[in-house]
Amino acid sequence: MWNEERVHNSATELSDKKYVVEAHDLVVQYGDKCVLDGISLRIRRGEVLAIVGGSGSGKSTLMRQLALLATPTEGSVRLFGDDVAAMNEKQLNLLRQRMGVMFQHGALFGDQTVLENVSLPLREHTRLSQLLIEQIAMLKIAMSGLKPDAAALFPNQLSGGMRKRAAVARSIALDPEVLFLDEPSTGLDPISADAIDELVLELRAVLGLTVVLVTHDMSSLWRVADRILFLANTKIAAEGTIAELVGSDNELARDFFHSRRARSAGAADD
Amino acid sequence: MDGNAELTMSDSTVCCSGDWTAPHIHAIEKRLPGLNWPRTDIVFDLREVVRMDTPGAWLLCRTIAELRNVGKAVRVQGASEQATQLLEIVQARIGEIPEPPKPYVPGFLENIGIHAATQLRQYRDLLNFIGNLAVVVGQTALRPWRIRGVLVVRELELAGLNALPIVGLLSFLVGVVIAYQGGVVLRDYGATLYIADIVGLATIRELAPLITAIIVAGRTGSAYTAQIGTMVVTEEVDALRSIGIPPLEMLVLPKLIALVIALPLLTVFADFMGLLGGLVMANTMLGLNPATYIGRLAEALTISSYLSGIGKAPVFATIIATVGCFRGFQVFGSAESVGRQTTISVVESIFLVLIVDAVFSVAFSHLGI
Repeated sequence: MWNEERVHNSATELSDKKYVVEAHDLVVQYGDKCVLDGISLRIRRGEVLAIVGGSGSGKSTLMRQLALLATPTEGSVRLFGDDVAAMNEKQLNLLRQRMGVMFQHGALFGDQTVLENVSLPLREHTRLSQLLIEQIAMLKIAMSGLKPDAAALFPNQLSGGMRKRAAVARSIALDPEVLFLDEPSTGLDPISADAIDELVLELRAVLGLTVVLVTHDMSSLWRVADRILFLANTKIAAEGTIAELVGSDNELARDFFHSRRARSAGAADD
Repeated sequence: MDGNAELTMSDSTVCCSGDWTAPHIHAIEKRLPGLNWPRTDIVFDLREVVRMDTPGAWLLCRTIAELRNVGKAVRVQGASEQATQLLEIVQARIGEIPEPPKPYVPGFLENIGIHAATQLRQYRDLLNFIGNLAVVVGQTALRPWRIRGVLVVRELELAGLNALPIVGLLSFLVGVVIAYQGGVVLRDYGATLYIADIVGLATIRELAPLITAIIVAGRTGSAYTAQIGTMVVTEEVDALRSIGIPPLEMLVLPKLIALVIALPLLTVFADFMGLLGGLVMANTMLGLNPATYIGRLAEALTISSYLSGIGKAPVFATIIATVGCFRGFQVFGSAESVGRQTTISVVESIFLVLIVDAVFSVAFSHLGI
């Protein structure tokens, strides 16, 4: 990181800035149904944190709280050291420019081409010329692994894998510091899924990104995740590296990570 | 935040400083083309750069590439580790990234051709749809137990019962307006009694069927398009087909049947409310006794004028249901297309209703009804 030196200079700053995303005792309730109950987490700068769990375990809900898309029923979220509950809409929008979100189904704007989709954040938040914006957008499209021809296509002309890549390209348009990825490799063929994993690693290396990854793709967990939060029954049931979770004595985590699919993914990576 | 990106030149060294990040490079971008570069070889010194992101790196690489193209030797020094990495990434791709594709804008003549071809294809599709629908209607007429009664009743409630308040209110107001406008003239001639003729004939022959059809086209026709269109987008229509249920039978036929029943009934209601509006106005403004008004109505209105009004309603209903459902099936791809088709559906069905109404008027006058 280019400002790492400055961060290390002061001890007080260190504790503030070391954790990019923090959550304390998050509770999310929809009516009587409790989706998340007392979740606390801290994500270090440059870390790839994976949130895993069975379908309906509240993975995406947790990500939405962290990505400023929903407000928790109780508890607090801190981004870059600041409590988001104390911020007004303008401050929140400044914060949003420092984070990128890739949605599960892409959420590309259907009336715009891929190029326009990727240019949109740049056009909205910078005062660069149209040409430079489009060149940068083309760079991001190339970085996300799409062919340049895809830039002129509309979202409904893209295949599933291309759509995910275009969504990644849009989410990194502004060089965010934190990237939230909601099931980036789900529904992709193995080659495309591998490519998305490599993309995440490359982006982390080049842009110094902190990545929050919601997934239940076992190969991705082995390949990219530094640390994993395993959600079950509205709580964090287990936490650690993939190796630690595989060896975990938590019954739910053991079932999950010892499922036939999980084992074959681990075997392939060893 | 640190200051904007800056460039300062001394001899052959170009010193870059400040924030080379997307929000801070617009000023330097504008200055770049007008700069007088040193004639000699150039060294870019990046020691003063506070930070750099991909847009900043791109701008720098682009500038360097342009300088190299005019035959200058360019060197970069003092870049931080992170900046070096970024510049390498961008440098590796700068050659292979083509210019952003320009959207193709067809010329005037080509535009006309494209539109004509689209129209033609849509007319063919519409004919195709009407044909398929006719087949389904014919098949179902032979086996009436295949009609989905529950769905028909549900559509009747949505398109008929729920529309009563708005149809009633608007018809009442139209009755009031006609009575008022006609009454002003008739009072000068001392012929206020004939207000019943004006309100009665205008409402029953023309206005009640037309107003009702227009309201239903806006209210129900649009809903048909939006519902079916959304189902097309979410592949529910394909799901029906794969389960072995013909979409036309499940989605269109109940709507068609329900609307053909509901629209005439709504028109009767609109007739009544329109006449009532006229009565209220005739009574309050012209001082006409309600009994006299109703007595005059009974003489002015013939059964044939009543039927000629009501008789148009099933035709209008068929138009609205057919156009509404057809437009739903024309949805392609995304949710945005649902909105577009819904707009077209409403405009088209109101347009067709008015055209057909004019045809009816001409035909009735030739037939002397």
